[in-house]
Amino acid sequence: MNPYYDANVWEFMGIFFRRLFLWEGGLPSDELQIWTLGAVSTSTALLGTLLVLRKMTMVANALSHTILLGIVGAFLLTGMNVMGGLDLTTLLIAAFVMGILTTLSTDLLIRVARLQEDASIGLVFNSLFALGVVVLTLMTRDAHIGTEVVMGNVDALQKSDLRLMGALAGVNLFLIGLFFKEFNLTTFDPGLAHSMGYRPALYSFLLMILVSLSIVAAFRAVGALLVIALIVIPPLTARFWTRSLLGLMSGAIGVGWLGSFVGVALSRHFLSVQGKALSTGGIVVVLLGLLFLLSALIQRFHYLRIRGIVLSKRR
Amino acid sequence: MNILDYFFDPIFRGPTIGTMLMCLSAALVGAIVLLRRQSLVGEALSHSTYPGVVLGAALAGVLFGESVSNTTMSIFILTGAAIFAFLGWCGIQFLERSLHIRSDAALCLILSLFFGIGVTFASDVQFAYSSLYMQIQMYLFGQAATMTDFHIALYSLLSLLVITIVVVFQRELELVTFDRQYAKTIGVRTFLVEAWITLLLILAIVIGIRSVGIVLMSAMLIAPAAAARQLATSFRSLLTLTALVAVLSAFLGNYLSIEIPALLDAGSLSLPTGPMIVLVATVLCLFALLFSPGRGVVLRLVRRLRFRHRCLCENILKTLWKLGARETHTKAEILQYQSLSKWHLTLILRQLQWEGWLSLSKGNIQLTHAGEQRGGHIVRLHRLWELYLVTCAGAGIERVHRNAEEMEHILTPEIEAELTRLLHNPQKDPHRQPIPPQELL
Repeated sequence: MNPYYDANVWEFMGIFFRRLFLWEGGLPSDELQIWTLGAVSTSTALLGTLLVLRKMTMVANALSHTILLGIVGAFLLTGMNVMGGLDLTTLLIAAFVMGILTTLSTDLLIRVARLQEDASIGLVFNSLFALGVVVLTLMTRDAHIGTEVVMGNVDALQKSDLRLMGALAGVNLFLIGLFFKEFNLTTFDPGLAHSMGYRPALYSFLLMILVSLSIVAAFRAVGALLVIALIVIPPLTARFWTRSLLGLMSGAIGVGWLGSFVGVALSRHFLSVQGKALSTGGIVVVLLGLLFLLSALIQRFHYLRIRGIVLSKRR
Repeated sequence: MNILDYFFDPIFRGPTIGTMLMCLSAALVGAIVLLRRQSLVGEALSHSTYPGVVLGAALAGVLFGESVSNTTMSIFILTGAAIFAFLGWCGIQFLERSLHIRSDAALCLILSLFFGIGVTFASDVQFAYSSLYMQIQMYLFGQAATMTDFHIALYSLLSLLVITIVVVFQRELELVTFDRQYAKTIGVRTFLVEAWITLLLILAIVIGIRSVGIVLMSAMLIAPAAAARQLATSFRSLLTLTALVAVLSAFLGNYLSIEIPALLDAGSLSLPTGPMIVLVATVLCLFALLFSPGRGVVLRLVRRLRFRHRCLCENILKTLWKLGARETHTKAEILQYQSLSKWHLTLILRQLQWEGWLSLSKGNIQLTHAGEQRGGHIVRLHRLWELYLVTCAGAGIERVHRNAEEMEHILTPEIEAELTRLLHNPQKDPHRQPIPPQELL
C-alpha cells in the first residue's frame, strides 16, 4: 500500500518527512522517483555547471539526441528490449561510443569538410537521432515508440534504476571532487592550465564521457530532451545567487533536488486532488523554469533597487 | 508502386506534394539562417512550438468536441505553434539581452523549458482527450500519411507566402546577412529586415513541423542549405539549389518511409516521415560536402595529392640535374637526396620516362634535353628566390633554403621575370652557387 495514496501536496510533504525521520522501510514509487530524480539532478547539476561555464551546453544537447542511436545499437546487438531494463555494461559502452562518435563527427565536419560550427552540430545530432528513431521503429514495429524516447516515463522506474543513478551520482561527485582544481583551472583559463602542464583536452574528454554516461542513465527517467533542462537550468539559476564554482555546483544540486522533490509531490497532488496524471518529468522542468524566473526577478529587483539608491544619493 | 502515383493518386498526392512544399519553404529560410550562423536558434524555436501545438489542439478539442474537423484542427495547431515560437524567441532575447546569459545556454534553456511545458500539457491532454493526443504526438516526428488535399492548399499558400517574401526582399536579405553595417549606411532598415527574418523563421518552422516533426525540424533548416552552399556561387544560386535539395529530399524521404517497410514486409507500419526526410537530406548534404567541385573534401584531397606528386617529380629532376645533367645516374644516388621508398621512386621514374623527361636503361638514368631544361629551371627558380629573400626581404642566408624548397614549385613565369628584373639578372645565389641563366633553358 502506497502511503502517499490520495495525498495532496502538503500531506505529501508531511508524510515524506515523517517517514524520513522515523526511517520507515519500504520504498513507495513516489520516494523511488524522488531519490532517482535527485540522483540524476546531482549528476547533471555538477556536469551542467561546468558545461555552462565552458559554453558547451549545445554539446550536451547533441549528446542527449545521439545517445538514442547508441542505446538502440546496443540493444540491437544484445537483442534486448529497448525501453525495458538497462544492463550496466551495455549502457557504458553505448554512452562511450556515442560520446566519441558525436564529438568526432562534429569535429570532422568542422575541420575536414569546413562546415560552420553551428550547422555541423545541428546536422550531426539530428541525423544520428533520426537514424536512431528509424531503426527503433523498424525494430519494434511500433510507430509510436519515438515519443516515449523523447519524453521518458518516470512511472516506469525500478529499484535497479535508482541503484544505477545513485552509483553514477557517486562517480560524478568523486571524479569532480578529485579533479576539482583541474576542472576549475581548465574551465576558466585553459591557456594557463596548459602552461602549467595540465591538459585541457583531457579534462574536456573526461567531462564529455561523464556527460554522455549521465544522459544515458537519465534517459529512461526523464527522456532525451528533458535531461537538457536538468543540465542547463539549475546552474543558470544558481548563477544568480553565487559566484564561486563550488557555490555554483552546490547551488545547482540544491535547485535540482528542490525541483525533483516538489515536482514529484505536485505530480501526486494533481493525481489525488484533480485526478490528472501529469508527466512528472514535465512538472519538474516547469518548476525548474519557475525557480529560474523567480531568481532572475529577485536579482533584477535587487539590482534595480541598488541602482535606485545610488541614483537618489547622487542627486 | 509507380513513382507518378505519388503525385496523382488521391491518397498519396496529399502527403507527397504537401511534404515537398513544406520542406521547400523551410529550407529557403534555412539558407538565410545558415548564412547568419543562427541554425541552432531554429532548433530552440522548433522545440518551443510544442506547447503551442498541444494547447492549440486542446483548445480545438474543447471548443468543437472530439469530432473536430481536420481543417479547424490544423489552423488551431498552426496558430498555437506560431505564438509559442514567438514566445520562445522573446525568451531567448530576454535571456541574452537582459540577463546576459550566453547564447548556447539561453537556447538550451528555452528549448528544454518549453518542451517540458509541452510535455506537461500533453500528459494532461492524454487522459482527457486520448484521440487528440495521438494527433499531437504526430507533430513530434512528423506524419505525412494523413495529409489531404486541404493540407496541400493550406501549405502551398503558406509556402508561397514564404517564397514571395524571400524573393521580393532578396536584395535586402542578402545585404543584411552579408554586411550589416554597409546595409545600414545605404539606408536599409536593418531592424525591420531582421524582424522579417525572425518572422520567416517562425513561419517556416510552423509550416515544417507537420511533415518533419518538432524534434528534427532544425535539420531541415540546415541540411539542404549546407549542401547547396557547397555548390552555390551567389545568393540567388544558393536559394535555388537549396530549394532543389529540399524538394528532392522531401520526396525521397516520403517515398522511402512507405517503401522500406513494404520491402521489409512490415505490414501496415509506416515509418515517421521526419526522420526519413532528415536522413535523406543528410545523405545529400554529406555527398555534396565530399564531392562538390571546388569545395568538396575528396576533390581538395585529390588536388593536394596531385600537387605533392608534381613536387616530387620536380624534386627528382632537380636532383638529377644537380648530380650532373649530362651523366647517367642510379636510383641509389637519387635516394641519397630524396626520401621516398624504392618502388615509389621506380613508379615515378617510369612516369617521367613516359612523359619524356628522362631515359632509363638497365637502371641507368639520364635526363633528356627537355628534362635537363626543366631541372635547370627549377634550380634557377630556387636560387632566384633565395637571392630575393636575402637581398630584398632581409632574411638570413642560413634560413632561406627551406622556404625556397617550397617556392620553387609555385613560382610562375611572370614572377620569375619580375624577380630577374628586380635582381638585375643575377649570376650567383647567396650561397655563391651559379644561377642557371634563362637563355640556356
